[in-house]
Amino acid sequence: MGTRARNSLLPTFGKALAVVLLLVWSLGPIYWALATSFTTPADLVSKVPHFFPPEVTTEHYARLFGGSSVSQGNTVQSVWPEFSAALLNSLLTSLAATILTVAVAAFGAYAFVRLRFPGRDILFILVVATMAIPAYTVMIPLYRLMISLGMIDTYVGITLIYVSAFLPLALWLMRTVYQTLPISLEEAAWLDGAGRIYTLVRIVLPLAAPGLIAAAILTFLNAWGQFIVPLVFSPTLATKPLTVLIPEFVTRNYVDYGLMNAAGILAIIPPVLLVIFLNRYLVSGLMAGAQK
Amino acid sequence: MAQTRSVVRPAFIRGEALLGLAFVLPIVVIMGSLVFLPLVTTVLDSFYRIDPMRAGQPFIGVKNYVDLAGDQNVRISWGNTLAYVVMAVVLETLGGLGAALLLNKVQRGRQWLLAAMVVPWCLPPVVNAIVWLWIYNPSYGLLNNVLMSLGLLDAPKVWFNDRGTGLFLITLVHVWRMMPLTGIILLAALQSVPRELYEAAKLDGAGSVKAFRLVTLPLISGGLAIAMSQSTVFAFNLFDEAWIMGGSSLDSRSIIVQVYLSAFQNLRFSYGMALSLLAMLASLIVSMIYVLRVYRETRMD
Repeated sequence: MGTRARNSLLPTFGKALAVVLLLVWSLGPIYWALATSFTTPADLVSKVPHFFPPEVTTEHYARLFGGSSVSQGNTVQSVWPEFSAALLNSLLTSLAATILTVAVAAFGAYAFVRLRFPGRDILFILVVATMAIPAYTVMIPLYRLMISLGMIDTYVGITLIYVSAFLPLALWLMRTVYQTLPISLEEAAWLDGAGRIYTLVRIVLPLAAPGLIAAAILTFLNAWGQFIVPLVFSPTLATKPLTVLIPEFVTRNYVDYGLMNAAGILAIIPPVLLVIFLNRYLVSGLMAGAQK
Repeated sequence: MAQTRSVVRPAFIRGEALLGLAFVLPIVVIMGSLVFLPLVTTVLDSFYRIDPMRAGQPFIGVKNYVDLAGDQNVRISWGNTLAYVVMAVVLETLGGLGAALLLNKVQRGRQWLLAAMVVPWCLPPVVNAIVWLWIYNPSYGLLNNVLMSLGLLDAPKVWFNDRGTGLFLITLVHVWRMMPLTGIILLAALQSVPRELYEAAKLDGAGSVKAFRLVTLPLISGGLAIAMSQSTVFAFNLFDEAWIMGGSSLDSRSIIVQVYLSAFQNLRFSYGMALSLLAMLASLIVSMIYVLRVYRETRMD
């Protein structure tokens, strides 16, 4: 008993150390961004490192939200008009892409699993194979196509591009979900005279809810973080999202790290909330998406 | 799957094909017009000269490809991308494997440790790059501060002055984001290894290192192949981090940054298309190598 306790002490200590290391590596930079966003500009450029803001300030956030604010004695114009427009654009395009992708995948994947129709397997393989093709490969012709359709800098254009980029993963995910559902429930419904669509909507989809949530989270996170697509297709604030706006704070007179970290912190709130409240679905989605 | 159909033959069987086609019609339309059509166009147009600022779109054969081969900037971008891929795949695989082994051992609070690990993957890459750029800041950055207070550095270093260091630091940001995916894939693989095998290895007198090499590694090789091909594809297509941290600088320019510059700044569309096509092929070929190797090795066992 005594040797056993001694033997397990070292591994336990090592394990604890590894856990701390993993936590610091994963969350440390986020903490640093948070601390920076509450640090005064003077303290940001002080020679003494501060791991906690010596003087907590909300002036960076005030510049994002307020009308105008005072920084280092000067009145600084607020960036709220741009910031709010970009925030709205990010939310609208990501949510629209999520809803559309999950809806198309929910019905499409069901067809791939349960319905027989000509070209089913080849279509599924083709669509899933595009997961290996990065969106960048098709971006240039897509740009010309969107110009000819007049869909540059429109919500519809951006949303459709997102759907085309994230649909394969959602389809793959939903197919694995449907494959694990027993068909006996559907057969029972059919025997009772229920139609295909009624069965799918009332019986299958509720059972597949965890999968639908996972697909929705993955799509939303991918859309929310997208950069190169809006960089090309969203030239103005009409559809420009946060990911494109925030780096533009650099190209002003000087690099305003306080402001950028504050904006960054705001931009990571939705993803962080998803991780905190829905991490079970997120992890299962990532695991299913990575199988085979 | 076949046996599931025999039990009940719904009366609406004739409508099945029609319903199936109706359900996949949106997929055909969206993927067809926004992915497959542009993909075919990319291939065809790469043999033409298509510059929005120049009149005419003449057929020029493989001239774009020949020019690419002789383009010094493109060659440097390939070198940078190669460096990104090698460093990212090695670091993500080792780090992800370590994290997965740890998570597999942790009993209490695993869900929360897993959640903490996944966070970087969920954040917008652009925000990650900005946060890390501030950490790397030569005058006021955390990295210099920490290294100096530890006595490892005498004077603050301008990290991006050195090409190799710059490439490594950009890779590190990418690894920070992508390692969780490797970790999760490998954790799933580890959890599918039957416990009895470890017991048997222990009874045979195998130590933990030997058990890892003989039991764990072969059984998670499938997961490793998936994780490594994912890492490869994502590192090949590294854009966000390189663009935010290095802009158009040749020192950090990845192949996708080069594609973006060719097409949307120099306005040479078909030149960019040819390059993006080559980048796609390269990343596909490299990731196929892992899959085939692992497939062959696992078949022999």
